[in-house]
Amino acid sequence: MILLLNLEKLFTPLLNQAYISLFFTALLILFFILKKYQYSLRSLLPFKYVEKSITEDLLKQLYHITSSQKTTDFRMLSGALKIPERKILKVVESMTQNGLIHISEGHVTLTKTGKNYALSIIRIHRLWEKYLSEKTGFDKSLWHDLAEAKEHQLSKEETEALYEELGRPRFDPHGDPIPTALGEMISETGTSIVGIPKGTVTKIIHIEDEPKSIYRQIIKEKLHIGAHVKILNADNHHIIFESEGHSIQLSTVVASNIQVVLLNSQETYEEGNVRLSSLIEGEHATILGISSECRGANRRRLLDLGFIKGTFLNLEYMGPNQNPRAYRLRNTLIALRNDQADFILIKKTQYDRTGSL
Amino acid sequence: MKNKDIQDLLDLASELRWEIGENFHDTLVEGIYTDAAQIAQKTEIKIGEPNPYSFERKLDQVLTSKKYGFPVMILILSIILWLTIQGANYPSSLLASFFLEFLYPMLKTGASQIGLPWWLDGFLIDGVYLALGWVISVMLPPMAIFFPMFTLLEDFGYLPRVAFNLDSLFKKSGAHGKQALTMSMGWGCNAAGVVATRIIDSPRERLIAIITNNFSLCNGRWPTQILIATIFIGALVPDNFSSILASLAVIGIALLGIGFTFLSSWMLSKTLLKGEVSTFALELPPFRPPNLWTTLYTSLIDRTLIVLWRAIVFAAPAGAIIWLISNIYVDDLSLANITIDWMDGFGLFFGLNGVILLAYVVAIPANEIVIPTILMLTVAHLNLMGAGNGVMFELESTTETAALLHAGGWTLLTGINLMLFSLLHNPCSTTIYTIYQETKSWKWTVFASIMPVILGFLVIFLVTQMWQLFQ
Amino acid sequence: MTELEACDSCALNNSAQLLKLGINVENADYVIALAGNPNTGKSTVFNSLTGLKQHTGNWPGKTVTRAEGGYRFKDHKMKLIDLPGTYSLLSTSQDEEITRNFILFGKPDVTIIVVDAARIERNLNLVLQILEITDRAVLCLNLMDEALRHHIDIDERTLGKELGIPVVKCSAIKKQGISELISTVHQVATRQIICKPHRIKGLSKSVKKMVEKLDKIIRKNYPGLPNSRWIAMRLLDADADIIKALKNGDFINN
Repeated sequence: MILLLNLEKLFTPLLNQAYISLFFTALLILFFILKKYQYSLRSLLPFKYVEKSITEDLLKQLYHITSSQKTTDFRMLSGALKIPERKILKVVESMTQNGLIHISEGHVTLTKTGKNYALSIIRIHRLWEKYLSEKTGFDKSLWHDLAEAKEHQLSKEETEALYEELGRPRFDPHGDPIPTALGEMISETGTSIVGIPKGTVTKIIHIEDEPKSIYRQIIKEKLHIGAHVKILNADNHHIIFESEGHSIQLSTVVASNIQVVLLNSQETYEEGNVRLSSLIEGEHATILGISSECRGANRRRLLDLGFIKGTFLNLEYMGPNQNPRAYRLRNTLIALRNDQADFILIKKTQYDRTGSL
Repeated sequence: MKNKDIQDLLDLASELRWEIGENFHDTLVEGIYTDAAQIAQKTEIKIGEPNPYSFERKLDQVLTSKKYGFPVMILILSIILWLTIQGANYPSSLLASFFLEFLYPMLKTGASQIGLPWWLDGFLIDGVYLALGWVISVMLPPMAIFFPMFTLLEDFGYLPRVAFNLDSLFKKSGAHGKQALTMSMGWGCNAAGVVATRIIDSPRERLIAIITNNFSLCNGRWPTQILIATIFIGALVPDNFSSILASLAVIGIALLGIGFTFLSSWMLSKTLLKGEVSTFALELPPFRPPNLWTTLYTSLIDRTLIVLWRAIVFAAPAGAIIWLISNIYVDDLSLANITIDWMDGFGLFFGLNGVILLAYVVAIPANEIVIPTILMLTVAHLNLMGAGNGVMFELESTTETAALLHAGGWTLLTGINLMLFSLLHNPCSTTIYTIYQETKSWKWTVFASIMPVILGFLVIFLVTQMWQLFQ
Repeated sequence: MTELEACDSCALNNSAQLLKLGINVENADYVIALAGNPNTGKSTVFNSLTGLKQHTGNWPGKTVTRAEGGYRFKDHKMKLIDLPGTYSLLSTSQDEEITRNFILFGKPDVTIIVVDAARIERNLNLVLQILEITDRAVLCLNLMDEALRHHIDIDERTLGKELGIPVVKCSAIKKQGISELISTVHQVATRQIICKPHRIKGLSKSVKKMVEKLDKIIRKNYPGLPNSRWIAMRLLDADADIIKALKNGDFINN
């Protein structure tokens, strides 16, 4: 009887515990290596699978370099993309044949077709970041990498459907303009926060998400687009400024990735502007607004619950772990986590005008 | 409206959207609240001094305070669990004696009187009827006590406070504070716990709560845990201490379940579910006296009976299959015995045995019938004379059960592994069906069904290996 | 549509769409929807209207439960649908989508909006949104006893005037005001009371102008649509569902 096949005999020699643990450990290590270096390991794949994505990355890189008025050569490109020079040359060859780039005296420049191609890739990248920020729960430190992969996958039709679904956005969540389908792009008007004189009040309009290590430092300070920033002090190495009631010190290298503009005539800098998370038991406050960093479902939820500009509220109690905390507004108790309360800007007030508490 | 007109309209709308700026939604909600405030001001009449809700506030301060918040919570939960376990004992044994000792022999006699062929009699009465009898008598009483009490606390407004107190704990594993409630509901019944996840309105946290609910040791599994702990773990120490050690072991398993809930919640939120939308909102409604009779009635209808009905629908065919595999013979061996022999090597490798594995395969509809099935299969496999092939039963005393299991080759390791496997295996088919109903996704249903079994095999494999290492 | 003229008080609901939404209206003269914020005692109102004679089911393809029940009043059979409790109709969560679609496409003959009398300002957020979609509604001021205990009363005549719909004070848990609610609902269903619902005014001038511009185009194409202004606002907000419904022609069979 086949059914009576004794599995024990079959399994015992095979399933020796030492082998098993070794096997699992090896699998685990392999998994982490693949995950960590998936991007650089791409060059190990057969050429025809990666030609498209290398071409597109190269075009993007060239576009950024050209728009900052610099020139480039093969070595710089291969270094920036972490791809061996030999492979780059192969791609460059076919790109030249396709009329995407132009080479003279070792310098590489984009042709008109190449520029349009590059812009269409940037369009997908920024639209996808917008999508991730509005419709998914991915952390913002992951947006860039996910969009890097997605930009090589979406077809033209899919891109336009995405554009419609998102309500035809013009800026990505980092404040960068999204090129139109015709390859037009609004030029950026912001200036670096470094070099702004002390005492000036500005608004953040762009935070560069590359390099990642610097981007993480900026996120850690909870700085975000739309935040008002007052420069307190600056020297050659550091810049100190105030934002949403917090004083922040950044090194010049990090701060140079933040772009700001002066406030326009309708905007005013609220001196007492702090985050809701700083409210303590028994204190009252008026809501000034929800930070633009809070998006999608989270933002709509807060608005529906009544966290609207001009609303009076007080902190009713903190709970056993100080997080979440219960706020009373419009005679209702709503619990918010502290990271949500960070998004809500308030001005503390002495008393509550509605008198309904 | 012609397509072109629609396109023009949409184009115009997006043009205008940009004139407003990106936050029309904010503008709209602000506009609505402005109107609301005006209307409220015109129509609200304050009679005398505003009443400051002083009692509610004091109660809230106590229930959410650092000092009393957790003790009160643990006290209330213990009372509910105690009432459920103690209170269910009597009606459960009453139902069991009615279905299994009173009605069962009557049906058997009746069947032989009208001359039903033995196979039909066995199939219907020994198979289908007995399985239903077991499921109803073990499942109904605890659910009928547990759920109404839960609903009363919910209507009173206490449960949102529990979610509030525990949220920071759940947040660390990427879950929602309300999962504390669905988890406790799971101690009553996983299917009901899965339905209860509707209170979590954030998609990511809700999926986490659904997938991990199985780690809450449900009603159907408590009896298995208690029986096995008494036989194998209680026996390790002198009689005076055996019941204490056995209870500690069961509590340990339940706590291990909580541990696995947190661990798998955390892993899910960091990997598979990190892209799902996550929001948090928790209203703490005012305390209100619950409407006792309506609550009892609706919780009985909405929760207890619906879940019981699903369990019955799934248990009936299981009873039939259990009877069939014990009574269909190939080459002088019943299908059950063939399968047991076939699975035995695999089972022993993981520190279980073929009987247990087969019992878990056929008893997938309800954990309640695992022990009766194991006993029945053990007797059949040992070729002892029992109540008859394919008839599920339980023995009068724990000593007899212990003797039977020892005869079946069970060791302390088998006992420990069965307890672990009873915690970490696939949800029962009622729960699987409910998970599908709730997620409408095969992907998540399959995942939620398979993930715990893999985890279970991994854990008992490690335990068995360690055991053999120290032997 | 001469039939409609002949029968002023006939049911106006969209039975074809209702069937699609999983509601069988064969045995009912009128379809009544029950909406409201969570924690307003909505299910108590539902139970006191239907006397616990209810059955539950799921919305087709959705995971939200639906309670259905019925009652008779003056020889008319009323079918009551309990919609999920929501704070708003703008967040596009599943519950909100169901509530909105039911009122928008199912066109119930009357929508009862249950509010907590002690928290009226906050509850009005949902009320005002519903009134943008339907013009056949009754406001049920529930939990009146609790509000009075906390020294809050409501001037229901002014409130009714402001909202343009009948307002009934209730305390469903004590069965107070339920009979008045039933007769008011009947009057709205049979068109003895015609509502003139409040429309959102708090928008800035420029935004209002844009809404009107879109509204005008929609009205020109779909004359008689009661919620064209609301659709205009949803288009401004880039509501993907509404855009899809517009393209599919879901607003035509009116």
